[in-house]
Amino acid sequence: MTTVEVEHIRKTFGSMCAVDDVSFDVEKGGIFGLLGPNGAGKTTSIRIILDIFKPDGGRVAILGGPMTEAKKNLIGYLPEERGLYQDISLERCLTYLATLKGLSRSEARQRIEPFLERFDLADHRKKKLKELSKGMQQKAQVIATLVHRPQLIIIDEPFAALDPLNTQMVKDILIEQRDRGATIIMSTHQMHQVEELCDRLVLINKGKAVLYGKLDTIRREFSGHDVLVRTPGAIPPLPGVIESKPHNGSVRLSLAEHTTPQDILRELVQQNVPLEQFEIAMPTLDEIFIQIVRDSGERE
Amino acid sequence: MNKIILVLKNELVAVTARRSFVLTLLLVPVISFVVFFVLSALNRNTPDLLTSVFSPPQNQAVEGYVDQSGLIKSLPDSVKPGTLIRYASQADARQAMADGKIKDYYIVPPDYLASGKITYVRIDFNPISGLDQTGTFQDVLDYNLLGGNSSLAAKFQNPLDLQQVSLAPAPQREQNNALTFFLPYAVTFLFYFVILAASGLMLNSITTEKQNRVLEILMVSITPTQMLAGKIVALGIVGLLQTLVWSGTGYFLLRLSGQTFNLSSAFQLPPSILAWGVLYFLLGYAIYASLMAGVGALVPNLREASQATTIIIMPLIVPLVLISALINDSNGVLAVVLSLFPLTAPVTMMTRLAAGNVPLWQTALAALLMVGAAWLILRSVSNLFRAQTMLSGQPFSARIFLRALFARQAQA
Repeated sequence: MTTVEVEHIRKTFGSMCAVDDVSFDVEKGGIFGLLGPNGAGKTTSIRIILDIFKPDGGRVAILGGPMTEAKKNLIGYLPEERGLYQDISLERCLTYLATLKGLSRSEARQRIEPFLERFDLADHRKKKLKELSKGMQQKAQVIATLVHRPQLIIIDEPFAALDPLNTQMVKDILIEQRDRGATIIMSTHQMHQVEELCDRLVLINKGKAVLYGKLDTIRREFSGHDVLVRTPGAIPPLPGVIESKPHNGSVRLSLAEHTTPQDILRELVQQNVPLEQFEIAMPTLDEIFIQIVRDSGERE
Repeated sequence: MNKIILVLKNELVAVTARRSFVLTLLLVPVISFVVFFVLSALNRNTPDLLTSVFSPPQNQAVEGYVDQSGLIKSLPDSVKPGTLIRYASQADARQAMADGKIKDYYIVPPDYLASGKITYVRIDFNPISGLDQTGTFQDVLDYNLLGGNSSLAAKFQNPLDLQQVSLAPAPQREQNNALTFFLPYAVTFLFYFVILAASGLMLNSITTEKQNRVLEILMVSITPTQMLAGKIVALGIVGLLQTLVWSGTGYFLLRLSGQTFNLSSAFQLPPSILAWGVLYFLLGYAIYASLMAGVGALVPNLREASQATTIIIMPLIVPLVLISALINDSNGVLAVVLSLFPLTAPVTMMTRLAAGNVPLWQTALAALLMVGAAWLILRSVSNLFRAQTMLSGQPFSARIFLRALFARQAQA
């Protein structure tokens, strides 16, 4: 079942094409990665999904159809450009934004309280937003995104301005939200965050979708003919290996065309080599991205 | 509707809780009361103080004259002894002026009765107030031309002593009182200020949300129209509160002045002016707040808005520039046209209402025209109030503003 369907959306600003024929589906109850370098068209795509921008072409279905006023209450959005009312207290600001999402004032206060405690903001509730640090304001914005228990959460660069401790806390919260059934779209240019959290993704570069699907499938598709092997001692010469080079404490073996990983494993076992690690070398998303961008550059 | 009310409440609290707003709201009446009580205390000891403050009596300087025609036989009793000295020749008069004995002198030539020409000699050059004191010598000439008859000279100088009787229902003002003169000015400036202040709140509110970058979050919770509606109503209420407090204070002081300054009871403003004031404020506010909202939607910050607001408030300034003409002829063509044109109507109509009687059909027609204009402007501005325009961050362009304002709704 899909929560968001994006079909061939296109958006231009003057002569610049920000999004060009992008399509993807976001399935219910998962964390979907919207990836791409800065300026790739991620934020414009999100704004089109949220009906903030009208696309020049294409179609978006969100929570089963076009955006409606009622559906806005079911969506939590953390924009890339962070901002809250600076001249009012943290508690009043969060309460107001929660009531705009359909909660009553008392309900909003009840929901906000545990978040304030969890994010160490309870003692700062009466302070004006402008008196809080950038990290605190970021956490306040995460609360505003989640307090109404949205069915769809769209977060744009969620870990910007967070220290490692708070980054981990936000990751834990996102996993909790997914586990309670919420669908999450996470836009970021930090590929390692996606590898850790997302099960499906689309990668946008220069306004075009260049990669789309399940994370595992994509990595498998892009995996080369390499294996990672770690042994206590040196690895003996093996038939079918054309190159070996160190890789994070292991050795990366590049195999000849007709050699399979099973052939190497069998040979190692036959030679009685004690193994600490043996795995098919999967490329990181960074590596995949660099490869795709390089390939598309060569094509152009 | 519920979200409009939420925006409305938030705006109300945000503005009224601001220290600067509370201070302005309270300080204006407090200062008015202080000024009023100081003036009334002084007035008790010195009647007509106000008149003397704004039109101070001139000190009677000593003048001279040389009568070569033989017309001036004597001086009237109204001329204080020693303030107008006769000299036999121009040389004597000039010497007296050089010695500082006289400030100026007149030469009445031998052929005065035929030519009517008189030479006036003074040391300094001041075309504005240079002839301030010549009235005394004119009295002397009138008196002598009429054979030295004081009462006839007085009749000659003021032949039309009108006792005015008006059949109009509204109370008339005492013509010679300084407050009568200043009342329309006060009402005009009050209206200019409150409409400008209230619509300025709108601009400030929208640009603040842009600068705080909270707009994008709001766009995923409410529609731009809900936001615009909530803000317009809320800031209208704030402006109305300000208008009522300030004009109520003014009205109260005026009632009080009726006793303290011992004015005739007919001087009081009719209560209906308050009712019209509320209506014209709301309509004027709706027009100008909508225009300011349009500017706010386009500009990235408040600083960028100053050029645009200058253009927008021009029509509001026109009645201030022409205020003397409007007050002197409050039912003239200029006053009627400006009080019917929706952009100048809110201030002009209040000036006219404060200055004299306005036919009911004109007040009603002006209100109707303003309703129509407010609706058209509001509809056009909603074209600008789209998320994409507001988030674009482009610099203000009068061309884009006007194009959006006059674009048809269907093109939005």
